[in-house]
Amino acid sequence: MRSHVEALMYVRTAVNSSLTLPPETAAPSSRRVLLIAGALIIAATYLYLVLVQPTEIAGGPGSPAGLITLLGFLGGGALLVAGILPGLTTQAVVLMPLGIALNISFGQLAGSLGLPIYVDAVGTVLVAVLAGPAAGAATGVLSNAIWGLFNPFALPFAAGAATIGVLAGIAARWGMFRRIYLAPIAGLLTGVVGGLLAAPVAAFMFGAAGTVGTNAIVAAFRAMGDTLIVAATKQGLTSDTIDKLIVFTVVALIVYALPRRTRNAFAFVRRHRVLLGQPSPKPTAGEPLRPERIPDEGRAGEK
Amino acid sequence: MRVRRRIFNPLTELTLAALFVVLVLVINNWRFSLAVLLLVVFPAAVTSGRAGRIAVVFGVLVGPMLLFLLLLHGLFFPEGATVLLDLGIAAVTAEGLLFALSMGTRIAAFAGLLLTAVLSMDVSELLATLTHRRWNRKLVFVLGAALGLAPLVSERATEIMKAQRARGLVVTRNPLSKLRALVMVGRPLIAGLLIDAGDRSRTLEARGFAGTVPRTSYRADTDTTVQRTVRWVMLAAVVVFSIWWYIGRAG
Repeated sequence: MRSHVEALMYVRTAVNSSLTLPPETAAPSSRRVLLIAGALIIAATYLYLVLVQPTEIAGGPGSPAGLITLLGFLGGGALLVAGILPGLTTQAVVLMPLGIALNISFGQLAGSLGLPIYVDAVGTVLVAVLAGPAAGAATGVLSNAIWGLFNPFALPFAAGAATIGVLAGIAARWGMFRRIYLAPIAGLLTGVVGGLLAAPVAAFMFGAAGTVGTNAIVAAFRAMGDTLIVAATKQGLTSDTIDKLIVFTVVALIVYALPRRTRNAFAFVRRHRVLLGQPSPKPTAGEPLRPERIPDEGRAGEK
Repeated sequence: MRVRRRIFNPLTELTLAALFVVLVLVINNWRFSLAVLLLVVFPAAVTSGRAGRIAVVFGVLVGPMLLFLLLLHGLFFPEGATVLLDLGIAAVTAEGLLFALSMGTRIAAFAGLLLTAVLSMDVSELLATLTHRRWNRKLVFVLGAALGLAPLVSERATEIMKAQRARGLVVTRNPLSKLRALVMVGRPLIAGLLIDAGDRSRTLEARGFAGTVPRTSYRADTDTTVQRTVRWVMLAAVVVFSIWWYIGRAG
């Protein structure tokens, strides 16, 4: 079986070198500078908003908090995308618009089903699980940028979406999707970080106005005398953890139900053995998947 | 669909909208935000040829936000000192109402500017301009493909939902039942989309998508040197103004 895989890999290398154009050669060092700069800007923006502003009421006259939120989070996200995109394979790039479209349509579907959560990160988490943290982060940022064309309120949440993509990819790489019961735990942890990052955006850009449910939570904390940023953070931690827990579970269930040939077509899935085990004939929410310790690598060629 | 009266290249209009958003955030005063809304957004939306659509989307997005802001800050604003009406746990304060007004006008100006620019824009013209300006081809592809794919995915999701309902899927009020519906729609939807994506990946690869030579656009470049210069000048002006506003004015 192993030799079969090696033969396939040899053929692929040979095809790449003789028949297709050479891969794009953006200097990895300049890309790394962009990535580090983007991550630093996002972190600095968050620290500035949380450490410097809490004494001041959100968006008071002359306060640059709104501007810094938008430029820091959106600009940092743009730098991340600029650093990530040149290094992605065509396969990952083609997966990204699919993730973005899924984010938008699942968000709408959740609304039409009357679910009390957003579920608008399904595409980002799916891309991160199949193509890795970098592709996940870029999908998160671009998803919010594109959704922002129709709903401008999504724009400044780009940095939070990038973080969710990165964390989902790392969770996949660490094998959190190898067991169906580990995925919700990864989702919960991602939700905590996502909620913390989203809170200053909600507070400083939009005065914490959101949906009926989130507003009720913010109002309750405000009635207890919390400052706006604290109330928004508590609300973010409540809503985002539940949301991401469900999103990660839904993605794990969907990925395990995909045809094996489809999911093993992704190099990231094969290289890091993101998914293990043969899906049971009829996986349902309550039934844990049967783990099987045979790596799937090389089986694709058998058919 | 009525063709809109085109004035500028989409990239110029987007830049203009984004710079106005920056100005609204820098000045951060409800009077300026309201002025932008009435003197910039309103005339631009009316002459765009898609005024009806812009008005509907703006109303659906901004209307509830304004209402929530009024309720949230009008009733719960612990920092407020001037109490106009005491309702026990809630209190209407002058500071809370002022905060709601300033946030509300800012949000309305922010959404109005971007929505007017985007809803009156020809997306394919924007993508052609980006290709001519040598933007990263992967970025241009992702933008174009996502915009084209989004309505298709929604449509397919609706069809799968109908098919699953015909096969006996019943969605009750129970959240678990709704979640099950989400997975039952998501599974065939994503499997189909991934197979499509695999085909698309091979097709793109065969057409030299991974190459480094500049891409050719089939559309003529509608961008002009004047507009390009104007974009950079506007950007520089807003940067200089913002620095003056925060540093020069205070000092």
